[in-house]
Amino acid sequence: MDLKLPHLGEGADSGTVVNLFVKEGDTVTKDQPILELENEKAVATIPSIAAGTITQIFVKPGDKIRVGQRILSLGESAAAPSAAKVEVAPVRSRERLIQTPSPQQLPGAPEEEVLEPGSESKPGAVPAAAPSIRKVARELGIDLARVRGSARGGRIVLEDVRAYIQKLQRLAAAPRVAAPGGALAPRPAPEQIDFSKWGPISKAPLSPLREVIARRMAESWTTTPHVTQFDEADITALMALRKKYAAAYEQQGARLTLTSFALKVVVATLQKHPIFNASLDEVAQEIVFKQYYHIGIAVDTDAGLIVPVIRDADKKNVLELSRELEDLAGKARERKVSAEELKGGTFTISNQGGIGGGPFTPIVNKPQVAILGLGRGAMKAVVRDNRIEPRLMLPIGLSYDHRVIDGAAAARFTVDLAQGFESFKEDDVKI
Amino acid sequence: MDPIKTEIVVVGAGPGGYAAAFYAADLGKKVILVERDKRLGGVCLNQGCIPSKALLHAAHTITSARESERRGILFAAPSIDVAKLRTWKESILTRLAGGIAQLAKMRGVRVMQGRGYFEDSQTLRVETEQGQQFIKYEHAVIAVGSKAAMPRDFDLGNPRVMTSTQALEVEDIPENLLVIGGGYIGMELGTVYATFGSKVVLIEALDSLLAGADPDLARPIVAYAKKAFKEVRLASRVGKMATSGKQIKVESETDGQKKEELYDRVLIAVGRAPNAEDLGLENTKVSFDEKGFIHVNEKQQTTDPAIYAIGDIAGGVLLAHKATKEGRIAVEVIVGEESAFVDVTIPAVVFTDPEIAWCGLTEAEAKAKGIVVQVSKFPWAASGRALTFDRPEGLTKLIVDPDTERILGVGIVGQGAGELIAEGVLAVEMGATAKDLALAVHPHPTLSETLMEAAEAFYGHATHTLVRRKAE
Repeated sequence: MDLKLPHLGEGADSGTVVNLFVKEGDTVTKDQPILELENEKAVATIPSIAAGTITQIFVKPGDKIRVGQRILSLGESAAAPSAAKVEVAPVRSRERLIQTPSPQQLPGAPEEEVLEPGSESKPGAVPAAAPSIRKVARELGIDLARVRGSARGGRIVLEDVRAYIQKLQRLAAAPRVAAPGGALAPRPAPEQIDFSKWGPISKAPLSPLREVIARRMAESWTTTPHVTQFDEADITALMALRKKYAAAYEQQGARLTLTSFALKVVVATLQKHPIFNASLDEVAQEIVFKQYYHIGIAVDTDAGLIVPVIRDADKKNVLELSRELEDLAGKARERKVSAEELKGGTFTISNQGGIGGGPFTPIVNKPQVAILGLGRGAMKAVVRDNRIEPRLMLPIGLSYDHRVIDGAAAARFTVDLAQGFESFKEDDVKI
Repeated sequence: MDPIKTEIVVVGAGPGGYAAAFYAADLGKKVILVERDKRLGGVCLNQGCIPSKALLHAAHTITSARESERRGILFAAPSIDVAKLRTWKESILTRLAGGIAQLAKMRGVRVMQGRGYFEDSQTLRVETEQGQQFIKYEHAVIAVGSKAAMPRDFDLGNPRVMTSTQALEVEDIPENLLVIGGGYIGMELGTVYATFGSKVVLIEALDSLLAGADPDLARPIVAYAKKAFKEVRLASRVGKMATSGKQIKVESETDGQKKEELYDRVLIAVGRAPNAEDLGLENTKVSFDEKGFIHVNEKQQTTDPAIYAIGDIAGGVLLAHKATKEGRIAVEVIVGEESAFVDVTIPAVVFTDPEIAWCGLTEAEAKAKGIVVQVSKFPWAASGRALTFDRPEGLTKLIVDPDTERILGVGIVGQGAGELIAEGVLAVEMGATAKDLALAVHPHPTLSETLMEAAEAFYGHATHTLVRRKAE
């Protein structure tokens, strides 16, 4: 029988083979790991779905493979290969189906972009459109259920398809860096420079994760007018609280960090300033206010930046937040975060304090509209009541989408945020 | 002998096969069309659509003459020269088949006469009169069609027990004819023979005739059958059949009552079976369902990457125009176009007296699937045109989505319904609304007005009928 790459989870239909654990002639048991696959979300081990002897391997490390693609052939006895042969045909046709361009692969429909569902198509009724229009849509790989029909009864005419394509193009205006799967996005041809002319160099391939980071950052930077609001928060009292309760938290198996506090303070400030917990729906030209607080935490991993999301942060206490924070960060570093755990964030915190550094200008994590960057707290001479006092000051940089948020709103936000750090209630940390 | 190389071989020259071969040739492909019969055109042309319609037309003349009596125009009783009728019918078939051969020639499609047999996934062996030929192809399209089913219990080896194929030959006009099966074939051929003078008894296992059609559309046909046939027995079964001299002895059962009768001929019209055997498909990766139809996906691809299947052999509704459409799709997929048999409206027409035709969603289907629809009807009794030819029993109805007012289905019963349904197909395919149909001016006096008026009735203001607005 043939072993094919199984479905990997939402949004993941391919990956790069990092490691092969088996070779031809090996005998494997069911569930035995056969290879390690890296994609933009995580590194996953692919187990064998059956026991048998490997007759042939069709992939090698470095190969990009897709869901449904043959990985290897398993035989139980000498008679097995004929059975394998019979399997070939359905696989072929499925591969062909997979290669059909799906709307998601169209140039520039960004992954998170929510396009309108078109005229609500009902069960049993396909979108109303003439056969000629349906043919065009099929050829272009456009799902008519996403196109809004303008003619009587919501019928889709060529004009609607044209408008839809133009909209896709507008949304794709941001050049994508090495779009995986198909470099269809229009962008100036990159120039290859021979750096070895000027001295010795070494090269490393762009990992799938790095590709994603590059694409997402470029997209956000080029489509979102960024402004960064700086401020400082006095965390002298907060750090005293931390010192007081760190041991108690440790006994509960949790690490009390500045980020734990920051989560609590940020959620409270977001509740007061809902525009920072919103998104811009560019299609509907609407602002979407979210009534949930899912906070993304930027985690520095060996492979690069990963942002897992803490869900419903408003409903959790500092202890729960601390535990979850540590758990998610650990999973992120081991690249074991599920695709689901990376989705749905409403605001992001990037805390560089553990490394050091002053204020910086983080890039908004689209489709969110704001991101908070925290530097390292440092003792500073602060004037209070006409006296100079040494205080522990935390550098704050809040980047926001100026299309949605005005400067005054950002100033109010950071003032409230700093206030939140300065007057953190002991009751909130007590356990 | 070296094999002949071709890009596409089409096996079977019916309306699916020859359409596919011609289209592929028009797109610049090298095509061989293989047909086991001497005459091209398949079942449709030779044993189906065309001869049955020719006979129905001939029968209609008799009906018209009879009906004209009440209009004061009298004809003598018809005398039927069966041999001449047969010759006339044959001449149509010959002319059409010759036309297909001519079209093939002009396109450079090579026609090979003989039985095709798959040696493997790339090779077709053809048993021609000049000996074996081997064809190495890149893609094969199987379009071998179906044949009238003959259950083993009824197969007495007696030519008096006929399928539609023999019935269309019109050997004679039997005095007593038993038709087994009240589907469209049994109804059409029953109509032909009844009009020519046979006493027709029709036995149907289900409790309705033309089970696929909405009951309100089937009603005029049921009324016709009750009048024109000697007897219509629903929910009945035929037990044993045996040869009895020059007749057939038939045992049947209705409502627990057993009957034994003698018939001069029996027509078996219980369905059709795929022509899947003796094709060598076991040498390929093509797979079948339990009835012997070839498995295909919406691109007409079989489980063998080099082989496509279209028409009756691929299952679904067994209609010529569905085969033709599938043939075009298969060719488009072969040449690399994005094409698929998705959301295609296949109209159905039964050429009874009167005709019945429908397309898209039927009322029964909407009910079964829980789709909320509004049904808008226009009875032909209100159509001036229908009255001028004395056939007021017709009905035109639209199945409409109440929210978008889109036409999801059209059903028509009445003379010429088969021609009228084409506008319905266009409406459904175009996603037209009832308003579109109501606003388009239809010529007067014609039956096409019934479509417009049915659409107007949806809005409660048809000129020639008063619509009671009620919750459907």
